Formats: sequence, structure tokens, C-alpha cells
Amino acid sequence: MSTNPPTEPRPLPRRAWLVAVVAALALVLLAVAYVQWRQYRLLDDTARFQNDGLGWSFSQLETEHLRLRNQMQKALDESRPFDADTLQLRYDIFVSRIGLVDHARARRMMLGEPIYAPALEKVHAFVVEADHTLGEKPREPLTRASMAQLLPRLDALSVPLHDLALSASHLLYERATLRNTAVRQHSQYGFALTLFQALLLLVLGVVVLRQLRALTERRRSLEAIAESLSAARHEAESANRAKSAFLANMSHEIRTPFHGMLGMMSLLQDARLTPQQASFLETAKESAQHLLAILNDILDISQLESGKLQVAPEPVDLAQLITEVESLMRVQAQAKGLTLRVRVAPDLPRWVLADATRLKQILFNLLSNAVKFSGAGTVELAARVAASGRLEFAVADTGTGMDEATLARLFQRFMRGDESTSRQQGGTGLGLEISRDLARLMGGDITVKSTQGVGSTFRVSLPLKPAEPAAAPAPSPSVGEHDGPRRLRVLVAEDHPVNRAYLEAVLDKLGHEAVFSEDGDGAVRAMQAQSFDVVLMDLHMPGMDGFAAARAIRAMPAPRGRVPIVALTADAFQEARDRAREAGMDGFLTKPAHLPQLRDVLARFGGISPESAAAPAPAAPEPADQERLDFATIDDVRRSLSPEQYAALLERFFDDCANPLGALPDAAAAAPGTELRARAHSLKGAALSLGLRSVAELAEQVQRSPADTATRELAGLLAALEKDISLTREHCVRAGLLPR
Amino acid sequence: MHASHQHRRSWIVTRAAWLAAGWLPLRPRAQEAPAAKVILTITGNVQKPPGAESIDFDLAMLAKLPQHSFSTKTPWFAQPRKFTGVLLQDLLASVGGKGSMLRAMALNDYRVEIPVEDWTRHGAMVAYLLDDKPMPVREKGPLVIIYPFDDKREVRTAIHYSRAVWQLRSLDLQ
Repeated sequence: MSTNPPTEPRPLPRRAWLVAVVAALALVLLAVAYVQWRQYRLLDDTARFQNDGLGWSFSQLETEHLRLRNQMQKALDESRPFDADTLQLRYDIFVSRIGLVDHARARRMMLGEPIYAPALEKVHAFVVEADHTLGEKPREPLTRASMAQLLPRLDALSVPLHDLALSASHLLYERATLRNTAVRQHSQYGFALTLFQALLLLVLGVVVLRQLRALTERRRSLEAIAESLSAARHEAESANRAKSAFLANMSHEIRTPFHGMLGMMSLLQDARLTPQQASFLETAKESAQHLLAILNDILDISQLESGKLQVAPEPVDLAQLITEVESLMRVQAQAKGLTLRVRVAPDLPRWVLADATRLKQILFNLLSNAVKFSGAGTVELAARVAASGRLEFAVADTGTGMDEATLARLFQRFMRGDESTSRQQGGTGLGLEISRDLARLMGGDITVKSTQGVGSTFRVSLPLKPAEPAAAPAPSPSVGEHDGPRRLRVLVAEDHPVNRAYLEAVLDKLGHEAVFSEDGDGAVRAMQAQSFDVVLMDLHMPGMDGFAAARAIRAMPAPRGRVPIVALTADAFQEARDRAREAGMDGFLTKPAHLPQLRDVLARFGGISPESAAAPAPAAPEPADQERLDFATIDDVRRSLSPEQYAALLERFFDDCANPLGALPDAAAAAPGTELRARAHSLKGAALSLGLRSVAELAEQVQRSPADTATRELAGLLAALEKDISLTREHCVRAGLLPR
Repeated sequence: MHASHQHRRSWIVTRAAWLAAGWLPLRPRAQEAPAAKVILTITGNVQKPPGAESIDFDLAMLAKLPQHSFSTKTPWFAQPRKFTGVLLQDLLASVGGKGSMLRAMALNDYRVEIPVEDWTRHGAMVAYLLDDKPMPVREKGPLVIIYPFDDKREVRTAIHYSRAVWQLRSLDLQ
């Protein structure tokens, strides 16, 4: 059997206690004041109304009565002269004393005294009679005879007046006793109240003391909590810092070999490979790039989470940025047979304050998602100024669209639109989250609208302010009228041999002269000995690191101390950028540094105007071009070199082919052997590097044709190759790759 | 008849003297002899005329001194009453009195001692008019020592009530 626990009376809250005690104290004080006031009145009245004097008045009356009687007896003495004046005075004094005992207060005091009223009546009766001779207007003369008549009447007053005096004094004693009792009682009340008051004060003191103690305890506990909180925060912060440092280190550790691997693979691609090997290499490269993308995403996320990722707004040419994004994405879109359309509103400001890298990252992410998840149709990027004054970038696709549930989970980590397709599409699922976080970091946001089966629209709205155009890099005096890139002397400080090899290859490809040192010391020494146009400085090196080396170079006298220094590191954290800037470095390049980035950086700091960026995008290719031309490669080469240079290369290729093509059939007829196949291989290599897919394929067929192939058959192949070369040329002209 | 006649005459004299008192300089008039019935005798440390034992005052002489009046409640009347007369301080100054203790005596031989601060600080007064009327003996007159009981809290004590002498007859300054 269970019983409910007895409900305990709720303890009165402390404040209520305090209020109760204070109220009681106030009441007691009031009571004390009242008692004291009563006591004061009692004493004051006694003094004011001379109550005690009343007894004296009664005795006075009796005395004056006796004196009058005495005087009257003297007046009756025949042997003496009749003293009328003295008799009159005595009488007047006697009469004056009557008023002192016959008034309202005296009557009130003598109330209940049966002899008072009859006695006074007798006195008044006597006065009426005596006034006949002794009054103010006497009717009879004052004589011995009249006195003899009055004397017995006066005598008759003796007893009542004496009794009155006696009873009055008794009454006064009684009253005094009563008053004393009252005063004593009041004193007792006062004493009791004072005691109670003292008790209440004691209680009040205890309550206040407890209150104070509770407050102190609470403050102490709050302080303890605050202390432990700050300690916890400190711990969390240091843990986070440790995590950041770990990630930075890991990124360095992972990116350095990656850098080397990717570089080597790029170089390997230029080597003579069998198509199968080339295909393997391509797959390996794609995998590596995918892995790198994942690594970058993870780094971004960790930086966003630790709040270390910062956007650094600077004047950005918005039109150029969109063009860059477009030209890169066009390749992807075309690879999937999609149409990429870009619409830029005419009122869009050309220069805005923005972090170009991060803005590009968002647009790339949204566009590549749109391309990935659209099987066919159009992907559109529209940039405009919204009604709110914000810039709005809308990426719309005609893809599969998403249902409500998918939309709801869209920006969540590792969320992918379609689990089945994502396996094919790749990606970490972090892209959208990163994009939205970046947009929010810039003060904007990303919203999405989607209809299943129709498509999706992602809208990035950013509060970007218009900016003054950035000062264009001053053209180097050595850059004349011609557009050819200037050959730069580049000092590269890099400790990793693979990276050195890669950078050497890339710089060589870019047409620059590279001088290497393995550490900061070497770089500083090289800088003292020779002059360079640009320094690429790895930040993490044994011995003197990049920061110290940069500072040492900056300490040199101009112009050596002013040489542009570009930091080169796998460590992508903002901290590293800040430190590099503090050390006096001008640029920052994240490893692995691909050719385009390197070229841009060298263009910026070496005084060469980047031309590919300003180059007009090639017109949308015809579907037939798709098979014939490898636009990915074409775009890459056009951007790596320049559209003009590419056009020149194409021109040379087709020129070279014109004759050798004629010669090929001859060769086939004359020496259908190794010679022909070697030339076909060389043709294939050139075609591949220029992105001429169909030519390369046909050249490969020639190259691979078995040695015993019939001459006629071989001639057919060669004719097809010849025809394809001329067709390809036409396509190139149509696609705007080649001047007519 | 005698009494009533005397009263009426002194009444007129009082009125005349009263008006004159407003501008007459205050000075001892001990050498002046009373013309009417003596109502107050001052003895002790005062400037008496040569050979005299005391200075006697009749009503007219009192009326020539600076006049004052106030109303106050008293133990002897239910209502506040108006008293008019001469400040004790002025009276003693007029006779060149020097002393710190005044013995007051009444017709009925009542006696009380009045200390100096009562006339220097407490404004004790010798009144001869009650509600603007002279006081006969049977109404506790003709003179009474009165204090401003209502105005001065410090004189509302039994001691001071006992110093308010009725039927004042003589003063002895020591």
C-alpha cells in the first residue's frame, strides 16, 4: 500500500519573512508611540488643569470661610471699632474662592460625591443673603445687627465645607493613585513593547544576516560557475586550436606528396604512352583530383567551423569573374552535352568589393552541381541586381529537380540529391554546405526552388558593394607592342625534390627560367648573388623557413628587397596567409599550384598581363564538334598559353599536315613500315595536345595497323585521315578557334 | 456704593493713562504718589522715595506703563480669556528694581517665589483687566500674575500655574 508523502508546507520565501518582520516592527513602533503619547497627555493635562490644585482650592475655601467668620465675630465685638473695609475684603475673598470649586471640571471630578451639590447650594444661598449687605450693590447698610444675623448662617457652612475639603482630598488621592496606576501600566506596556521590538529587531537582524549570507554564497557559486565556464571555454578553444593545427599539418603532409603526384602525372601525360596507359593515367589523375577536391572541402569545412575562414573583400572585376567561371564550366557542360547560358543584367556593376576566390568557389559549386545532375538541356547562370539592392546569382538547370524531403535535407552535411547518382557523380556532399556558409559569411544566403521533373534554381544573394576599379598591374617596360610573354627569372625555394621537378617543368612550359634553392638560406644567398623577377617561396622548409627568408629579402636594399615574393604552401589556413603578409610577401599560392594559377600569379607579379582571361570565349560548338574536338583540352591549352598562341599552333599543325599528309600516302607506298608508324605517332601526339580528338584517333589507327596490312587498306586509312584533318580544320574555323 | 464709584472712576483714569502710555518714555516714577486706592505695594531692592519703605501703585499708575495683552487658556476658566496689563519686567524696571527673586503675596496671604527668568524670558505679566474689564476682588482681582501659557510650552507646568497669583497685593524684590 502506498501513501502519498505528506505535502510539506512550502517555506515562506525570504523576502516575505523580511517584509513581515519589518511590518511588525513598524506596528510595534506605532504602538510604543501611542503609549508614550497617552502618557504625555496624562501628565500634561494634570499640569495644565491643575487637577492637583483642586484640593488646595477646597481647603482655601474652608480657610477663607473661617477667616470671614473670625472677622465677623470681631465686628460683633462691641469693644472694638466696626471695621467695614476689612469685613468687605474678607467677604470678597471668600466669594472669589467659591468659583474655584464650582466649575464644570470640579463638578466632573466630584461626580458621585453626594455632599458636593448640597454643600455648594448652601454656600450660594448664603452668598445671596449676604449680598444684601456685602454685595456690589448692597440694599442694606453694613451694620453690626446685620452681621449678627449673618453669623449663624455662616457657621452653618462649617461642617459641609470641611466635609467637602476632606472628600476632595480623598478623591484626589484616589485619582493620583489611579493615574499612577495608569502610568505604571503604560510603562509596563511600553516596556513589553520595547522588549518585543528588541526581539523583532533581533529576528530582522537574523533574517538580514541570512539573506546576506545567501547572497554571498550565490555570488561565490556564480563566480565558481563563471570560472569553470571560462576554464571550459579555454579548454575548448585550445582543443580547437590543436585541431586546427593538426588539420593544417595534415593538409601540408597530404598536399605535398599530392602536389608531387599530380605534377608527375601531368608530366607523364606528355610522355609517349600507349592509349591504354594514357587512359590509366587519366583515371589516376581524375581520382587524385577528386581526392584533392575532397581534401579541400574538408579543409574548408574545418575552417568554417573553427571560424578561421575569413573572406577578404577587394575590388573584383565581376564581368571578368563571370567570364572565367563560364569558360571553365563550359567545358564540363559541353562534356555532358548541356548548353551553358550566361545572362548578365546590363545594370550589374562591373567592379564590386568581394572575395573573388570564395565567390568563384560558390558559383563553381552550384554550376557543377547543376551540370552533374542534369542529363540534358540547359544550365543557366544569371546575374542581376535584386530589388533589395543585393547582387543575385541564379543558377537554374533543367535537371531532375527535387522533392520536398530532399529540399529539406539539401544543405545538410554529406547530403546528396540522389544517392544512386552520387556514386557516379562523385563529390563529398560538403559543397552546398560550404557554399551556403561562405555566402552567409559574406552577409548573404543561398535559397533554392525546385520542381520535380522540371528543374532547380539556386539563388545566391550577396550584399556586395560597388567598388572603384583596382589599379591594373603596371605593364612591364619590357613588354612592348607584341603580346608574347616575357621570360622571367624565377627563384623557387622548395625543399621537396618532386615539387621542384614539377615546378621546373611547369615554369619551363610557361617559358620562364627557374633557379632553385632547397631552403630559405639558399634562397637568401641566391637573392644576394643574382637578380630575379619573382620569388616563389615555400613556407615550410627545414632550417630557415619561408617567413624568415621573406623577411631577410625584404631587409635587403632596393631593388632586390622589393622583388615580388609569392608564398607557396599546402597550408591553406587564413593564419598562414596573414603571417605571410606580415612577413612582407605579396601573393599566396596554394599547393598544388597548377599551371593556370602559376601563370596568373606570375603574370600579376612579373608584370605580364594575363590574356586568357580577356580572351573571348569560343562560340558554342556544334554537336558534331563534340566528337571531333576535345574541348577540355582545347580550353586548357587556350588558357595555359593564349587563344592566339593556340590558333598559331593550330595553324602550324594544319600547315605541317598539308605537306606530310601528301607525303603520307607516298610513304605508305614507298615504305609501309616503321617510318609511317612513327610519323603517325608524332601526329597523334600533336593532335592530342591540341585537342583534335578524331585526328588523333585516326592517326592511332594508322600507327597501330599491323605491319602486314594491305597497302590499299592503309591507303584508305590515310585518305580518311586526310579527309578528317581538313574537316577538323573547318570545324576549328567554325568554332572560332582558327581565323578564317 | 463706595466700591462701585471707585471702580468707575478708576476705569476712566485707566483708559486715559493707557492712551498716554504709548508715547510716554519709560522711566521710574517711584517719586509719584498714588492718588487713588493703593492696589500694589513693591518692597525690597527698588528705588524707593527717601524715607519710604515701599513703592505704592494705584490703578492709574499701572495704566501709565506700557500695556500688553494676550489670550490664553488657564486651569481656572473653561474658555481662553484675554488678559491685559503690565509686563513684570517693565513694572520692575519702572521702579529701578534689581534682583533675581520676587516674592509675590496675595490678599489671602498666599505667597510664592518667582525667579528672574520668569519676567526676563517667560513674559510674566501683572494683569488688571480680564476681557477688557477690571476685576473686583470677588472675581479674584484686582491684580493677577499671568503667564502666556498657550504660547510658551515651557511654562505649562504645575510650578508656573502656582506662580500665577490671584488677588496680588504686594511684590518683594530680592
